Order: sequence, then structure tokens, then C-alpha cells
Amino acid sequence: MNPTVPLGNTPSRPEKATEVSGLTSLFAKPWVRAFMALIVILLIGMIFNANGTFFRWSAHRDMLRQTSVFGILATAMTLVVITGGIDLGVGSIVAAVAVIYSTFLMALPVPFSAASTILFCLAVGAVFGVWNGFLIGKFKFQAFIATLAMMTFARGFAKYISGGRKVMNAIFFPDGTFKYNPVFPEITDWLNSRILGNNIAIVTIIMLCCMFIGWVVLSRLVWGRYIYSIGGNEEAARLSGVPILATKMLTYGLSGFFCAVAGICQAAQEYQGDPEAGTGYELTAIGMVVIGGTSLAGGRGSIGLTLIGVLTMGYLVKILSLNAVAESTRLMVTGAIIVIAVLFQSSRRK
Amino acid sequence: MAEILVKLTGVGMTFSGVSVLRGVDFDLRAGEVHVLAGENGAGKSTLIKIISGVYTGFEGTLEIFGKNQSFSSPIEANHAGISVIHQEMSLIPGMDVVDNIFLGREIRRFPWRFSRNQEVARTRELLARLNLADLDLHQPVEEFPMTIRQRIEIAKALAYQARIFIMDEPTSAIPESEVELLFNIIRDLKSQGFGIIYITHKMEEIYRIADRITVLRNGDMVDTASASELPERELVKKMVGRELSSRFPPRRQTIRKDVRLEVKNFSIANPDIDGMFLVDNVSFDVHAGEILGLAGLQGSGNSELLNGLFGAFGSRARGQMLVDGVNYLGPNPSKSIRRGVSLLTNDRKASGIVPEASVRGNISLASLRRFSSYYWINHRREDEAAQRQEKSLSIRLHSLAQPIITLSGGNQQKTLLGRWLETAPKVLLLDEPTRGVDVGAKFEIYDLMNRLTADGMAILLITSELPELLAMADRIIVLHRGLITAEMRHDEATQEKIVHAAMGA
Amino acid sequence: MKKLCLLLGLLLIGQAVFGLQAGEKKWRVGFSQCNLGEPWRANMYEDLKREVAKYANEIELIHKDAQNDTSVQQAQIREFINDFEAGNLDILLVSPKEAAPFTPIIGEAFQAGLPVFVIDREILSDQYTTFIGGDNTVIGLAAGKWTAEKFNGKGALGVELQGLSTVTAAQERGSGFHEGIKGSDIKIIFQVDMKWLEPDARQEMESALSRFPKIDFVYAHNDPGAHGAYLAAQAVGREKEIAFLGVDALPHEGVSYVKQGILSATFLYPSGMDLAIEHVMKLKRGEKVPKRIMLATKAYDKEHPDGVTIGEPVVTW
Repeated sequence: MNPTVPLGNTPSRPEKATEVSGLTSLFAKPWVRAFMALIVILLIGMIFNANGTFFRWSAHRDMLRQTSVFGILATAMTLVVITGGIDLGVGSIVAAVAVIYSTFLMALPVPFSAASTILFCLAVGAVFGVWNGFLIGKFKFQAFIATLAMMTFARGFAKYISGGRKVMNAIFFPDGTFKYNPVFPEITDWLNSRILGNNIAIVTIIMLCCMFIGWVVLSRLVWGRYIYSIGGNEEAARLSGVPILATKMLTYGLSGFFCAVAGICQAAQEYQGDPEAGTGYELTAIGMVVIGGTSLAGGRGSIGLTLIGVLTMGYLVKILSLNAVAESTRLMVTGAIIVIAVLFQSSRRK
Repeated sequence: MAEILVKLTGVGMTFSGVSVLRGVDFDLRAGEVHVLAGENGAGKSTLIKIISGVYTGFEGTLEIFGKNQSFSSPIEANHAGISVIHQEMSLIPGMDVVDNIFLGREIRRFPWRFSRNQEVARTRELLARLNLADLDLHQPVEEFPMTIRQRIEIAKALAYQARIFIMDEPTSAIPESEVELLFNIIRDLKSQGFGIIYITHKMEEIYRIADRITVLRNGDMVDTASASELPERELVKKMVGRELSSRFPPRRQTIRKDVRLEVKNFSIANPDIDGMFLVDNVSFDVHAGEILGLAGLQGSGNSELLNGLFGAFGSRARGQMLVDGVNYLGPNPSKSIRRGVSLLTNDRKASGIVPEASVRGNISLASLRRFSSYYWINHRREDEAAQRQEKSLSIRLHSLAQPIITLSGGNQQKTLLGRWLETAPKVLLLDEPTRGVDVGAKFEIYDLMNRLTADGMAILLITSELPELLAMADRIIVLHRGLITAEMRHDEATQEKIVHAAMGA
Repeated sequence: MKKLCLLLGLLLIGQAVFGLQAGEKKWRVGFSQCNLGEPWRANMYEDLKREVAKYANEIELIHKDAQNDTSVQQAQIREFINDFEAGNLDILLVSPKEAAPFTPIIGEAFQAGLPVFVIDREILSDQYTTFIGGDNTVIGLAAGKWTAEKFNGKGALGVELQGLSTVTAAQERGSGFHEGIKGSDIKIIFQVDMKWLEPDARQEMESALSRFPKIDFVYAHNDPGAHGAYLAAQAVGREKEIAFLGVDALPHEGVSYVKQGILSATFLYPSGMDLAIEHVMKLKRGEKVPKRIMLATKAYDKEHPDGVTIGEPVVTW
């Protein structure tokens, strides 16, 4: 009797229909699909090139600058979306941070130093985010609800700090009079400048840094693996010893941190803190994430995909702007492009 | 000769150049239960998806009631009288019984208005045939236990006037005590001239219910024979392609002197009812190298016991638990893993796999911190670990990078075992380790349990297949409503004794 | 504790009511604001407070902000009517959120004998005492004439950053401007929406700058838009060769930008609070007040950093 038959030696059978031919499998890769949408947009740009403007570097440089704040928010959103959540608060946190940044640097009789202002801003963003993560992880709030509350609260906070008006280089006194502060903070000028032979905006570099941090977290750190596993199957992750609460607080905290970075960039580029800044940005960021191919169901996606999504939306906006397309048409075209881009993505799965 | 309901001739199916089914001839007669047998990946699912209209574009011909058919969608197959009772129920949890049964084909008095009264009457009639005459029809179906839901689903199929039932592992989700009830219903349907295609991985069931058996292997049709002409030994041989001298490897004597796990006065409070306990003051110990079997019907608390020992119930679990003499009760899974206790849960899909993640990532998930320094993952060491588990468990895959969801059930299960073995546990808690796993992989898992205990690991095993428990466990304790009602050694245990104790006698 | 609070509250209210009766006959002026969240309206409130303070012994302000909610503002006007009937209100100033939903209730207040000044946005009937508001066409015209005066004969090319081409205010600011530059050789080469937003204005201006090597002026439908355009030009070092024109002239925005040399000019969209309070006082003294006052604009530029009034308010009796 030979009971331990080595069953492992049976000829391997096809595991479902995963084995497919080369070209098909290339197009099954999410980043290839995401690229297809981007290429379509670039082709449109080449056709409607606004008298050749699209072929000038300045158009691309400006597109990158314009889309940087959104790119940072999309990075934040990607982390959260991969956990299976959503962060509606990003736009409002941008406003809150922009207002704090401007107040500290410009609107106080004795302004704070640039370093302490930035540190404080980043801390505020991170605290807002960690609070979201705490509600979601500890009290099992739905991410939609917790961050909707944050969206409302942070907007109110921005208005409270600023008194409802833009914080600029005018210092208001209680009686309604004001005086000007003629010099803008150096840090603001620096953030609003360009480097590399005046060819890349600082904010674009900052966006790329944020994306790099996001990439490191997602694909090099233990936390990234936790983020994916929570999005993929939270119960399995919990039973595998993944610290759910800590991971959620970290993820939303990181999201808040990135929002603060975006808020600083926004304030620096406007030379003021607008309490209405960032209205609707959360939806743009979600759009970019989805166009890249990160699934709102969680567990799938990457920062690289989001970068493609950001470029796709960024170029779309730029092309519409270069051609001076009317706002109503822009909205319709953008809606259509989102559908088309997501169609590219969804045909990936049966 | 009874009427032929379904007839397949020379049916084959190819996905992206890979042939998964070849030259299958199959027929289903009125008034019979026709079992489809085969390992996971043998082509059973493909075959029923062809019959039920999910897959189109197959080779060969499909005849329903003697008429050549090629469905373009499951709905068409449905209209033609084919109904699939799914593994995952297709009822809408929040809707009541009547609405579920008539969803999509409400009885209409006028085109815009449906007749609730007629629907209720019809539902009563259908449910009476399924021993559910006094079911509250206005409750949402989610409030009923799985068994009832399954019967509601059958009622739904009857309401559709289906004559061909396809049942895919219908007993995997219901307790043992309810299986006989289901079988009675199936026999009843049989006698009324319905035809049933039945898929199961449980050998006992096949011989309890089957009239004929068709065996598939690697996409080929091996044989069709009546159940009486195909003894178990033959059947297994046909399924795996070679003779297994037994379905189980012999359990070697590996028990050591030292106690690995000691559980004292362990209780888990019932979250829904104050003062009630899911597990009530249970004490036992497990030696190194021992497999302790836990038997009990659904609701006996044995699954909760394992989860509680693993820390999944947090502070609701009370009592003492000593691993190698050190007092320890895991307040959460993460701590338990570090202390050398690991749990393979009974629901692979809900609480086991991270479906979109790679096989590698699924293996390393529970021991990531070991492959990382300062939270940075060392990908090389992670990959080595995954390869080690892939080899030692002979997981069949294309690449460690492929998503685990693309593996067959048995290989998914082996991957999960790999996840837990990678944590180097002293105590391994196995909750239905062979559920939904094909015969070959089952054997490998049994063999693995032998190897692990030989190395001194203590295993707690829950399985709803009694022969498996009898073959593998060195000792068996039986739970009934959270209390231990019997404890027996391997050589004194019988199915009758266990069932007796499990019923609380 | 609760009871104590209640008691204190009652005492305070009593104090307020009796304290008031002790003094001279002060008029109580109600103001129903549709939304204090916008900078222009926040500034309007500042103006209002300043004007009221001038007559601190004779009038008293009760301000209510509806936070951009139609039903809230309707309810607040209803409260004012009740106050009037209880003898606690003498005149009502309303800046309605929209025309149609407020036409009946303002009419009701007017019928009840409460004098009503409608501010900034008109309603669909004449059931009010006086309307006071700015005229976007007049402002656009002033901006156009200013530009024509400055650039005519030079073949100047301009960019128009519209608020939102589907909104009346933007259409009027645009059409007025085009009327103003009619007959000159000035051309608008890039005309696009910037949704009243500074970041969007900057982005659109960047596009214009990439496309056109020569741009002489930018006419933006609000000051933040002009400022955003300035930042875009500054980033490519072209801000010196372009004149930036804005509208609204809030003291800390447009006027400040002109004083800092960022904008070449900005044109006031007046709040009309000075005239409103002036006419409240006239009414209090028993004088007659006109039916409509269309406010004149003011231009702020390098020569007139504190503004120069263009034209006269158009008064209809």
C-alpha cells in the first residue's frame, strides 16, 4: 500500500482562462488601457492644436502647473480609494490650509516663520485626516459619511478663520479698516516659481514628490500591503493580523497631509487664502483616479495609474482652454471623456 | 425510458486558445438525479454554464426537450425551463419572500399593476410542497437561515415552471441536520418528473442521492454510469485518473507527551442575547503532534470556539488559554499570530483570500513584518518565502504574481495554508480546511496535516464531513450549544456516537 | 441649570426691550441678506454697518443672513413682517436671492404698510418702496470706454475673461464693454469663461499667453480673475506689457491691486449702502423717496487711486 501518492505531479491544468496570447494580454494590463485614453486625448490635442500652441513646451509646462494641485489630491485619493474608501473632504481641507497658511504668513501683525507655518499646516491636514480614519476605523463610519462631515466642517473652519473673505496681503482691523503688507513672503514667491531653466513649476515637482511618497508607501512599505489587503478583503486582512484601525488612520492621515500640501500650493499660487478654494476638487480628484483605472471598489490600483489619469484630465482641460471652448461645451466634453476612459478600463474584466 | 430533458453531444469549450472542455456527451432524463463528479477545474462549472446559457459559442449541440437550442443569455435558458440553484444565493436579502419569488415576472392583473393576492396564494402553494407551509411570507429573506433561503430559491425556480434544476454544491452552506430535508425535497421533485443535475464534492452525498454519475477530468468526459454500477473506489479512481488506495492517508501516531495548548473555562458571550454564551465554559488540552477534532452541528459553537481562541472576538472571549504552558489569550488576531496561533477560516471567500492580490501577497500577508525592516518590505525574502510554500504545498499556478482569484478552489486553499504555515504556528486552528476542495487537493491537505503534526504542531480540526474527522483526528470532542457533550479517542469514535452527542444526547 | 439660563435670557431680553423704549424714538431697520459668504456681500455688510453708524442715535440695524437658502430667507422676511406687526420694526431692506420666489412675500410686506427697499436684485412686481442696484451694462460700458481712450489707434489686442457666459451679470459686463470699444480698432482675440475663479482665470490666461505673442490688455469680469491673469503673465515675464482690468473694486481686492500697480483699472460694482441709508433717513423724516435708483460706477486707476465717479445715478420717481 502506498498511501502518499504524490498528487503534485499531476500535469498542470489551465487555471481558468488566464493564459492568453501576447497582444491580448498586453491590452489586459490596466496601465496600457489607461495610456490608451491619454493617447486619444493627446491626439485630439494635436488636431485641435490652437494654431500650433499645443506643440510649444509652454502649453505642457502650464498644464503641469495647473494640474499639480489636482495631482496631489488625486494621490491622496488613490490611497484612500484602494482601501475601499473615499475622501470627500480633500477640497475643503485645501481651503482650510490655504487660509491658515495665508493668515500666518500675511495677515498677522507679527507673521510666523515660513517653516513653522508649513509645519503647522501639514499637521492640521494630517490631524483632519487621522480624525476621518479614526471615525471610519473605530466607529465603523462609512467613509462617505465621515468625510462628508469633514468636507462640511473644514469648509466652515476655513470660513471661520478667514471671516469669510479671502486672506491676502491686507491686514484687517476690527473696525473694518485695513492696511497693506507690501511684501509677499519669500516662500510664496518660491513656491510659485519655476526651476530647471524656468521649465518646470515648483508645484509640479512637489506633485511628483507626493506621488513618489505615495508610490513608496503603496509598493515598498508594509503599510501599502495593508492598504491593498483592506480594500481587497477587510475581514481576511483583520484575521491575518493587519492592524485595521492604525492602517486606516495612517491612510486618511496621509491623505490629509497631502491635502495640506495641496492647500499650501494653492495659496502660494493665488498669493492669498481663499475660503472658497478647492470647491469641487474632490470630484475632479476622484475622476482622475478612476480614469487611471483604480477601482472605487478598492483593492486594486496604483499611483502610476493615477499619474496617467491626472495627465489625461490635465491635458483635456488644457486643450479645451487653448481652444477657448465655452464652459457649457467643456462640461459636456469632460463628462463624455470620463465615460469613454472608464469604458476602456471596464472592458478589462468579464 | 424516461423523457430526455437535456442532451449534449460533442460539446467543447475553448477560452483564448485554451481548451477547457472537449467532446462531452451528456444527457439528463426526467425523474433522475444526475451527479457531475470531478475535481475542481475538471470542467463541471463550464458544463453547467453552457447548459444554463452563461457561456455561448461552444462546440457541439445542446438539445432541451429534444429541441436544438443555443441560448444567448441565462434569461433565455431560464425561459426554456432551466433553473440554477446557486452556491451563492441569488435572492435579494432585503425583499420579502413573495417579491423575491416573483421578481421580474410578477403576476399582473393589468400591465401596470400586479396582483399581490394571487402572488401570495401561489407562493403558499409552492412553499407547501417544500415543507414550508407556515413561513411568514412578509419577512425579508435575509432573516431566514440558509436552509430556508435555499428552499425559497427552489420555490422561485418552481414558480418559473422550471423542469431542469442545476444544483451546485447545495449542501455546502447548510447544516448536516438539514441535508436530509433537502434530499427529501429532491426525491420529491424527482418523483414529479423533474430532472436534477447535481454537483458535490462530498462522496457520501453522491451515493445518497445519485441515480447516475458522469465523471469529468481535465475537461474530458471519462464515464457515465448508474450509481449502483460505480462503487466509490472506482469513482475516485476515475476522478483523479489513478487509484487512490484510500481517500485518506493513514494517520500516523505523532502525539508527544508535552501539552501544547491548554484551554481552561473558556467562554464567549453571545453578542445578540445578554447572558447567553456561544461557547460555555469549555476546557480541554491538545498535545504537541496531536490532531483534536471538533464535531458539532451548525450553531454548536465549535467554529466560534476556534475564532475565539484566535482572538477574533476580542474581549467577548473569557477564560484561560496556555500555549506551551504560558498563559495567553489573544486579544486580537495580530497578537495571536505572534504567539504562534493561526486560524484557517471556514469561508475562504469572505474571510480568507484577498482576491485581487497576488498569490505571493496572499501568502506573506500574515507574516509581512518578518519580511520587512522598519516597515520596508524586503521583496526578495518575501518571494523566497512564497516560493518555499508554493513548493512544499505544490500549489499549481502560472506565476506567484497572478491574482489568487484566478486559482482553483483547492489551490486557493493551499495558498491560504501557506499563509498560515509561513507564520510558523505552534497551534494551527483549521476550520473546514477541505471545504470546496477537490479530492486530489483534499488528500494533499490531509497529508500535510500528518507532516505538520510529525513536526510537533498541535492542530484543532473542524470538518462537517464525518469520515474526514474520523480518519484524521486523534481525539474528538463534540460540542452542542456551546457545551462539550462528549470526548472520545480515535479508536472508540463512530459516526453514530458523534451524531448522537452532537444532537445533545 | 436650564431654568437659570432661561431666566437670565428673559432678563436680557427684557433689558433690551425696555432699554430701547426708554430712549428716543429710534427706527429699527431690518436687513435681509441672501448670502454673506460672498466677498462682495461681506463688503456690502461692512458698508452698511459704516453707514448705519453715522446715524447711531436715530436708527438701529437688525441683520439676518439667509446663507444662500431661498426658504430660509423667505422665513426671515416673514419674521420681519411679524416684528413690524408687533411694532418692533420700521423699515425693511431686502437683497433677495432670486426674483420669483420673493415677489409675493415682499409684496405682502409692502401691502401691510412696511416700507421695503429692494437691494441689488429686482423682483417681478412694483410692490416695494424703492429699488437700489448697480447696472452691469453701465460698468462694462465704462470699462470699454476707458480701454478705448487708452488704446484706440494702436491696434490693441485684448483677452476677455468672462465670468460665466450663461449668467446675466457676465453677459451685461461683456456687452457693455463691447459697446464701449465700438468704433475703435481694438480687438478681442481670446474670449473664454473663467467661472469667476482666480485659479481658472490663471489657467485660461496661460493658454492665451501660449497662443498669442502680443496681448495688450485683459478685461476680466471680476478682480480675482484679473489678478489670476496677472499672475499668469508674471510667470512668463509679460505682466509689464499688458494692462489688466477688473470689475467690482472691493477695497481690499481690486482697489488694493490698483494701488499696488497690479491692475491698471477696476470698476466699482457699488453696494449702494450709502444711498440706501440716506433714503432711509429721508423716509424717517417724512420725505418722499424715488422708486428706482440705478447706481453709477466708479473707476479706480493710476490717476485716480481713490476712484472717480463716472456718470450719475439714474433716479426714477
